[in-house]
Amino acid sequence: MIENDADIGSIKAEVLYEVAKLAFEDKLKEMEEEIPFSIIPGPKANFRCCVYREREIIRERVRLAQGKTPCGNEDDKNIVQVIRSACEGCPITRFVVTNNCQKCMSRKCQAACSFGAITIDGDKARIDPDKCRECGKCAQACPYNAIADIMRPCKRSCPVDAITMDDNSIVKINKEKCISCGACISDCPFGAISDRSFLTDVINLLKAGVPVYAMTAPAVEGQFGPDVTISDLSEMICEMGFAGNFEVALGGDLVAASEAEEWSEAYREGKKMTTSCCPAFVNMVKKHFPSVMDSISTTVSPMAATSRLIKAMNPDAVTVFIGPCIAKKSEVIETVADNTADYALTFEELHAMFRAKQISIAPRGTDMQQGSIFGKRFAASGGVTGAVVEALKEAGENAEINVKQCNGALECKKALTLLKAGRLPEDFIEGMACEGGCVSGPGNIRGAVKAKKDREALLSKADGRGIRENMQEYEKYRFSMHRKK
Amino acid sequence: MVITICIGSSCHLKGSREVVKKLEELVAEYGLEGQVELNGSFCMEHCVEGVCVRADDRFFSLKPETTEEFFCKEILRRDV
Repeated sequence: MIENDADIGSIKAEVLYEVAKLAFEDKLKEMEEEIPFSIIPGPKANFRCCVYREREIIRERVRLAQGKTPCGNEDDKNIVQVIRSACEGCPITRFVVTNNCQKCMSRKCQAACSFGAITIDGDKARIDPDKCRECGKCAQACPYNAIADIMRPCKRSCPVDAITMDDNSIVKINKEKCISCGACISDCPFGAISDRSFLTDVINLLKAGVPVYAMTAPAVEGQFGPDVTISDLSEMICEMGFAGNFEVALGGDLVAASEAEEWSEAYREGKKMTTSCCPAFVNMVKKHFPSVMDSISTTVSPMAATSRLIKAMNPDAVTVFIGPCIAKKSEVIETVADNTADYALTFEELHAMFRAKQISIAPRGTDMQQGSIFGKRFAASGGVTGAVVEALKEAGENAEINVKQCNGALECKKALTLLKAGRLPEDFIEGMACEGGCVSGPGNIRGAVKAKKDREALLSKADGRGIRENMQEYEKYRFSMHRKK
Repeated sequence: MVITICIGSSCHLKGSREVVKKLEELVAEYGLEGQVELNGSFCMEHCVEGVCVRADDRFFSLKPETTEEFFCKEILRRDV
């Protein structure tokens, strides 16, 4: 049952937990319809108008937890989905005159409006929503800051303008534009947008006895407190039935070495290049800047590199990326024919699995490190550049590279606009769609600020191995580090 | 055109990975790269005996051994 003061995160976590538990117990099919009743027992509603609506929201979330669309639309392949019953249809008249309006004599707002949308009558200025074009000039002009910009939080969060409203003001996602970054999922105050999950698929394969390998993203360190090392996590993951766990930081090392080669070559040829690790950034290039697609590095992502390494070791392996990222799910789906991870889960989903299998989240006293500190730092903005610089130094190449580090989707967009126009001053773009990097990803359990101290404590324990040194152990496994063109 | 292959667990156990591999080889063999795109998908809720595959708006149920027949009959014969 959900408590009265529960937040959206805990409702999502509760649904994932219930679904994971029933899936592990093999009872999901028969008990699925009971979940809304066990989570919302009633008779009083907690957050919405009535228990029926609350249960409908849970029902749609149960579908998402199984990878389905909330309402059974089979044409929609988007990862990010709207839970229609949860959308409150927030007001769409963006600029609103507040009570701060002094009905002043200068009427700067009226003068600033090029569309004649503002009239002064009665006690304050008024904006005619039919005439308003949402330019914001009135709000800038008002000497009392009396005009509020109340753009819908979902729409405001979207860096690529993929969010619109239908006739009933319910949010709609334009899947041609959506880059699956998940910003709207984090920002909707009603939890009306969420992501589809491979949770039950992974559980079913674990139950089927297939060798399933987890690959935990470098952002994981700090997600489970200051004492749980990545090696403890591997133990915990194996206790659930996984055949093993690999650090994606190891794939990060492989990527840094490959990028270093590619960057040196591009630099010699005078070509500009972008990173390829962040799938939301790659989606942004593909969908919004297709003319610069050739500038994306052909090196695969750390996830794909780790998966290829595991499959080189064990060709029967099923690989599951576990990270803070929602766009990784789209990478899995879109690169199905390019030998990459088979599934992707978020840390939230991993946590639900731990709870469902009653795995205690505590140190196991183990201490094994797979990724170098450079691979581990891929998870924060600037980390990829840092690792490539290190790889260049280790290779004896020129490491004085000029990189535009784009921290967040808006900076990515600006840099790509310049690249497209041929006016980017830097030689390389490091693209990270989440502000701060993966450590701020939408699939995290703890936000970057909360996890920061613990993360730094764990990272400070990592040894100082270099990238090349770390790769030596794996040199006997042969696989390509590049994607298909 | 896009061929969508279900990668859900049920289809995985029925051989979706082999089907993807076969299709990839066939696309290369007939030189259709750039014209036929292979894409994965969550469970499409059309679970039947075989691996669920969607081409345009039609659903097919494939096994690794029937993939070539499907490709010749349904993909090669149309204007891609």
